[in-house]
Amino acid sequence: MLAFLSDTWLLWLLLATAALLWSRSRRSQLFHYIFNRYLLALGTLLLVSAIVFSLMEVLPGDCAEKMIAYKNTQGEVITEAQLAAERARMGLDKPLPVRWANWVFDLGTKGDLGFSCSKRQSVNAALGDRFWLSFGFCIAGLIFAYLIAVPFGIVSAWSLNKPWLDRKAHHSPVRRVRNSLGLILAKLADLQLRLLSYLGLALPNFLLALSIILLYVFAGEPTPTGLFSDAWRSEPWFAETGFQWGKLQDFLGHIWLPILVIGWAATALQLQTVRALVVDESNKLYVEAARARGIDGMRLWTRYPVRHSISPLFNSVGFDYQRIFNDLPIVAVVIGLTDAAALLIEALAMTNDQELAAGILFLVALVVISMNFITDVVLAVVDPRVRNSVMNGGGH
Amino acid sequence: MAGLIARWRGQHTAFKADESYYTAGQLALIKARFLRNTTGVVAGGLLGLLVLMGFFAPFFSPNAPGIEGANPDYRRGAPQSIQFCDADGCSLRPFTYTYVKEVPKLDLSSLAGGDLNALDALTSGDSLSASSQNRFIEQTDQRRYLQFWVQGWEYSLFKVEWLGIDIRSDRHLFGVDQGQIHLFGTDEDGKDVFSRTLHAIWVTISIALVALAVKLFVSLLVGGISGYCGGKVDAVLMSITEAVRVIPPIPVYLACAVALSQIDLTPVQRYFAIAVVIGALDFAALGRRLRTHILTERNQDYVLAARLSGASSSRIIWRHLVPSFSSYIIVDTLINFPYVILAETSLSFLGLGLTEPVNSLGVLLQKAQDPDIQQNMVWQFAPVGVFVLLIMAFVFVGDALRDAADPYSERKR
Repeated sequence: MLAFLSDTWLLWLLLATAALLWSRSRRSQLFHYIFNRYLLALGTLLLVSAIVFSLMEVLPGDCAEKMIAYKNTQGEVITEAQLAAERARMGLDKPLPVRWANWVFDLGTKGDLGFSCSKRQSVNAALGDRFWLSFGFCIAGLIFAYLIAVPFGIVSAWSLNKPWLDRKAHHSPVRRVRNSLGLILAKLADLQLRLLSYLGLALPNFLLALSIILLYVFAGEPTPTGLFSDAWRSEPWFAETGFQWGKLQDFLGHIWLPILVIGWAATALQLQTVRALVVDESNKLYVEAARARGIDGMRLWTRYPVRHSISPLFNSVGFDYQRIFNDLPIVAVVIGLTDAAALLIEALAMTNDQELAAGILFLVALVVISMNFITDVVLAVVDPRVRNSVMNGGGH
Repeated sequence: MAGLIARWRGQHTAFKADESYYTAGQLALIKARFLRNTTGVVAGGLLGLLVLMGFFAPFFSPNAPGIEGANPDYRRGAPQSIQFCDADGCSLRPFTYTYVKEVPKLDLSSLAGGDLNALDALTSGDSLSASSQNRFIEQTDQRRYLQFWVQGWEYSLFKVEWLGIDIRSDRHLFGVDQGQIHLFGTDEDGKDVFSRTLHAIWVTISIALVALAVKLFVSLLVGGISGYCGGKVDAVLMSITEAVRVIPPIPVYLACAVALSQIDLTPVQRYFAIAVVIGALDFAALGRRLRTHILTERNQDYVLAARLSGASSSRIIWRHLVPSFSSYIIVDTLINFPYVILAETSLSFLGLGLTEPVNSLGVLLQKAQDPDIQQNMVWQFAPVGVFVLLIMAFVFVGDALRDAADPYSERKR
């Protein structure tokens, strides 16, 4: 009984969540919406798994062939019959839908992502902490991008249609000078940041990483590639003397590079999105109406257009994560990281390890879909506009 | 420059005061607004120049880009600078200097006694490396003058195979009176980096063109069908789009590129296959926009009128609904140009896109990984600069177009 439960724990977890949401959804519109979103997310996941799994069919070779190739290097002579037997043992002789159903079944019941041929262990074990490492990189890059893009995007939108100097006749000369200085500063900052962000868009990530590494080479310093320097790589985090602060320092001295590199391009894109969103909102009639009511300056700006453009921004977190992860593999190759993204490149381009690649891609999609689900729910709870549309229109 | 801008501004105000402003089509309005954006116009001019130089690359490049145009006497050579003045005085015709290859002096006397250690020291030392074997000394007293409109290798300036048009020429914009000129230096085979870069621009842009055409087609198909049919078809198509949207695209391109590398393709076929793959998987964003647009438009009166006059569904989609959205589609396509180019470069960088002899910017950028080039042939980074310039120009033009296409951007001014 216990063994059965531990074999199917994920299925029960999913079902229990669904049941909980469903029982609540009969009384509350909000939970009805959440329940619908939950089902939709599961459906999308199923579709993603189908796409990813069938996509991996295009990679040449299969697990049995790799096994045999390995045995060949060991000096054993293998016949066609043995190859067929190996295929049958691994279940590779079955048609694609059956194999996919098996894969999804294992995944849905016990979270098992399959078996990696090149690593000769289960995908879960092969991935291990690496997935969380990549996740950490992406989240750090995301936070970096948002911290820069949101405030400066707002400033950029604010200064878009402003003149360089304050020439309003009804302002006192002192105020005019002060305002002009502020305007010039804002416009200069905007210009610089836009140039920087365009450079971030135009310079591919790998070139950026490469040029930073080159700078280190020319300066004669040790390059910050990989995760640790040689001295700290084999040291444990916890020694007898307690926590190794030196190792943490070394770690931080290395991970800034991938975070900066993947964060920069994301910042560039995000800056443009924020700017476009805020400009869009600031052109709407409700801003005009607020201005007519006498609200002015910073108060008008922060309470109306900025506040309204935050929710679509928040809604896009999932896809921003996807975009950042998209860039990570090539950066990982250049910097020499050993995270899930590097493993993905290895599985795709070098070892053609179908299940490992499918597993990593599926996990990325899983993170994106869960982020989308969470942001949808949070927005439905927090944002009155979304809440209203959920209560009135969306909850049928 | 300022005068030009003022003229455009003047034209615009005249246009706005004119009656024609209110009857102008969407595209004319976008064009008028775009011309008012100074950075957009400058970037557009730069972009036009780059594309022109890329399209007529053989004319602008002094050397053939392939191995047939390589200069065997100037391998791994540094860029040759063009000057007007030097210590001997100035000349109106720009010139560059002649060079001689420095013959490295090898001290072989220590080898005479059959000393193997000395041989080891010689072979592992620096004196036999490729870069020290290819040192060139400029001779500042011998000038080579730049010539314009020179005769060189023959190329086809403009070629449309299926129409049988093939304009051949052997004139080049510039060259030197003796030998060859290498503005960006040469690579390890003696191929001219400047000519390769120019040729690469058009290859890269044409990949992007094919990819965007495919993308447009797939998006129109998915968005059009989904939006027009609605209901179950819409639900199915949109959930597939949603699923495709969450998968990171570069790994998917990679998988397809690996699969393509198994098939025996000529470089040209491979190049088109990669473009098609990049384009076909990128339909999600545009497809969704189109579908939303068509969903809102399909209940309009003009659609009803068309249907009552007996137009078929496909005719309504293609002739009535899609054109109402054409300005958005054009702008979106232009904005996506740099991203498609970046995708191609990423693939080539990993060695899975196009590969050497083909000149594409990705192939040239891939060389930046090579430590030999990083240390001894920095001039091979020149394509990186051109690439950044090209993408920047595209991004600026795209941005200006986005602003111009937004009908609300007019109100504030």
